Amino acid sequence: MARLFEQRDREREQWDELLSAYLDDELSAGERARLEAQLATDQALQTELDALRYTVTLVRDLPPAPLPRNFILPQTMTARPQPAPLARPRRARLAPFLTAATAIVSLMFVVVLAGDLLLLSGTGRFASESANDWAMPEMAEIEAPLEAPASEPVAEQAAVLVTVEVEAEVVVEEAEEALDIEAVPQDTPLPMLAEIPSETEPTATSVAEGYAVGMSDGMSTTVPAAGGGGPTDETAPPPAPSASPAAELLAMPSPTIVEEADEAQTALPTAAARAQAVEGTPTLTPMEDAALPPQPVEEEAPRAMQIPPGEFGGEAEGEHNVPSTTIMPWRTLEIVLGLATLGLVIATVSAWRARRR
Amino acid sequence: MDEASLIAAAQQGKIDAFNELVLAYQQQVYNLAYRIMSDPASAADATQDAFIAAYKSIDRFRGGSFKSYLMRIVSNRCYDELRRRKRRPATSFEDFGEVDEEANPALINGHERPDEYTERQEMSHVIQAGIETLPADQRITLVFSDVQGMSYQEIAEAMDVSLGTVKSRLARARGKLRDYLRAEMELLPARYRLE
Repeated sequence: MARLFEQRDREREQWDELLSAYLDDELSAGERARLEAQLATDQALQTELDALRYTVTLVRDLPPAPLPRNFILPQTMTARPQPAPLARPRRARLAPFLTAATAIVSLMFVVVLAGDLLLLSGTGRFASESANDWAMPEMAEIEAPLEAPASEPVAEQAAVLVTVEVEAEVVVEEAEEALDIEAVPQDTPLPMLAEIPSETEPTATSVAEGYAVGMSDGMSTTVPAAGGGGPTDETAPPPAPSASPAAELLAMPSPTIVEEADEAQTALPTAAARAQAVEGTPTLTPMEDAALPPQPVEEEAPRAMQIPPGEFGGEAEGEHNVPSTTIMPWRTLEIVLGLATLGLVIATVSAWRARRR
Repeated sequence: MDEASLIAAAQQGKIDAFNELVLAYQQQVYNLAYRIMSDPASAADATQDAFIAAYKSIDRFRGGSFKSYLMRIVSNRCYDELRRRKRRPATSFEDFGEVDEEANPALINGHERPDEYTERQEMSHVIQAGIETLPADQRITLVFSDVQGMSYQEIAEAMDVSLGTVKSRLARARGKLRDYLRAEMELLPARYRLE
């Protein structure tokens, strides 16, 4: 039933469309002829056409609605809104150029940074030197003369001598040995380095002097230094006079601590000079490394760095200043490029924001 | 000054020239708005907005019928307003008491008797009420065609639709209005009744 009504309504709409277009003379000649033939025989269709024509006539005859007022525009609208010119600030116009500049500078910064990391990490020695140069220039100046003597036994011994703690242990051990041999009373005061206040870093000379004074005060035993013989005997001065007869018996072949201190001051320049002779290469060859006594040189270096510069000869400084002078401009370039990249990034972001506005 | 010269002057920012165009078309524009909106206040607002919009965008007018240009703007305004009302229906002051905007004594035909004038006013209200029952697109099409006398082609351009759509919408609008009048005009004198 509903389908019949729908079909009837659809057919009626189709007829209305033909009748409406017929009233407006919008039908083709063929459609018009077929419709007029249908109208001639279909009275109901003719009635619908008349009703539709009357409806259109009523609408067309509607009187015009009286104007409530005039709609002229006020003179204040004379300034007709023109399209806003695309006047962007200068910063916004520079956005593409700033972006390109930022990319270039940041690329340069990355290249320099990568080069720094690659070059300086290529050789560990160079890296450690450069790091020391950068962080604490005076440390490199101290370390250089200490590493150079490590290439030879004489230099190594000198480095041992300047090591305060190692020396103290050696002195204590030797003193104990002497005490055992000579049966010195246990209450005899032994000036040990442990008694030295830790605030004042003792140098080799001060330790040696303190020890010598202690010896002269109550300890009548002279102690042979570890490795006291050997190549350094040629440069070592004669043994210092002992204060007790027992010391005289035992101290003959070995130098005193004062001698060791003197030896340290004389051996380092000697070692530095020899290191210079090895074609300026401070690194050790495997052969030299094997020939060295098992004295841990690397463990001493950090301790030795606490010694103020100028304690040892400055001859070895010259050959290690080359990395220092090349590293400084490199790092300066890194800083400049980094700051430039940061500034350009900020300027670029600001420019693009202004451009969006 | 002819219409083309006035349009050119208005495009150069001369408000006086544009106001002459306003005076020439404001009756037709307002009448269209009134027949679509069925509300004098809304029709006045739509008309004013349409003229302001036409003035602001007159640089984009590239010839053709200035009347169609104005009719398109005002019909779009009315269409937007009708859609807004459909989403958020509101009660206007006119709903509490009918204001006979057409009851203007100046419009009384000198040869028309008072009872005839009253019948005609009643007939106008019924037709306008019938128009108001139509969907917005059919209503605008009917007003364009039967109130403004625009051709199918002009309506298609103004509403940016095809000729077939204009033809279909107009036929449906007329058919619905015919059926409405058939039901409502039985209360009117016999000479207004539809058979």
